[in-house]
Amino acid sequence: MTPDALFQLANPLALAGWLVLLASPWIPRWSDRISGLLIPALLSVGYTAVILVHWSGAEGGFDSLANVERLFESRWLLLAGWVHFLAFDLFIGAWEVRKGREANIPFLLIIPCLVLTFLFGPAGLIAFLALRAVRTGMSGASAS
Amino acid sequence: MSVQLDHPLGQVPVMGAGRDWSVSVFLTRLYRDEPLFTAAGLFIALLMVPTLAAMALDERLVNGVNVWDKPFKFQFALSVWLLTLAFLARYLPRGMISRGWYRLYSATVVFCIAGELVWIGGASANGIASHFNQSNALMAVMYPLMGAFAVFLTSSALVYGLAIRANAESGLLPGMHQAIWTSLVATFVLTLIAAGTLSSMENHWIGGTMSDADAGFFFDWSRDGGDLRVAHFFATHAMHLVPLAALPAGRLSGRLTRSGANAIALAYCGFVAAVFVQALMGQPFLPGLI
Repeated sequence: MTPDALFQLANPLALAGWLVLLASPWIPRWSDRISGLLIPALLSVGYTAVILVHWSGAEGGFDSLANVERLFESRWLLLAGWVHFLAFDLFIGAWEVRKGREANIPFLLIIPCLVLTFLFGPAGLIAFLALRAVRTGMSGASAS
Repeated sequence: MSVQLDHPLGQVPVMGAGRDWSVSVFLTRLYRDEPLFTAAGLFIALLMVPTLAAMALDERLVNGVNVWDKPFKFQFALSVWLLTLAFLARYLPRGMISRGWYRLYSATVVFCIAGELVWIGGASANGIASHFNQSNALMAVMYPLMGAFAVFLTSSALVYGLAIRANAESGLLPGMHQAIWTSLVATFVLTLIAAGTLSSMENHWIGGTMSDADAGFFFDWSRDGGDLRVAHFFATHAMHLVPLAALPAGRLSGRLTRSGANAIALAYCGFVAAVFVQALMGQPFLPGLI
């Protein structure tokens, strides 16, 4: 069991989650369960296991950029960092889908947010937050 | 709604039309009778998932076995402990779990359990032993503290035993009532003796190979020497095994009396004493069989 082997497992798993999110308008409940819960949970369990096993032997820390770099010199912790991204970005993507559904935002507008979240995590999040904010303004104005 | 059926346990709640029993019905009942112990017990059971994943990845050993072996066993055991008490909560005096003292007490029990799990898990994450380990300043302080936590959490068996004993309206038939409360008290007393002796030693072996590698099936009990964990295991499971033994005894004899239940409990204590002495004499439990 090498970091590279686990990387080859984690990536397709996350990708599957994103594909299910794209299908969410037709399978909303399954999309919520799979991409919003099951796959993030699986990735998180894997992440937790890597940390439990390899954190105590790690050099570096979180208090300076130099120390973060030192941390990621460990291939296992580098894997953990990547799986952290995979898990959280997917969780956030599923959250955007749920919130977008609740706010009646057309899925066509959610898709670019999902693409951004998939590629550039936080950038996708702020895109969605901005979209939601302006849409709330729109529906507030049309109601009055 | 409940009816008095001719059942060794006494009153059996009948849930009405549809499914009488299912996992969700069972869990709903546990949540209703003791929400804290049920939630904590289930949460601890879920901890086994990342622990198993860590076990698959970790190559470090303690006492010859994977570092995550001990946390996994303790998570399983403490989950069973809490869920057993949650099951038995239905026989507590009505309203007891809402009382102020009980809320404080049960919260402290869960706190002690959490402390134990953090200590055992934290040691494993750092690749070192938890039990008997006083090799640095932190561990030297933790060991006796964890001993105190262990006594406190085990006292929950005593508290439940005495409370169930005092409950004349448990709905249990006399023999079963006797078996349940005596086995809970026995769990506390026997565990105090077995685990207390265990903790005062350097490790759990008396003679034989000082390693859990190539040891007995599942529990890693010594195959060629004394192992005090055997007595600890059976002492702590009195609360399961005595009532389970009482069930068929009631069926065979027609109706189990309080004296009959006492006899079963006493015989069980004798058995625990026997395996305890066996270990102290450096003899393995069931050699050649496990």
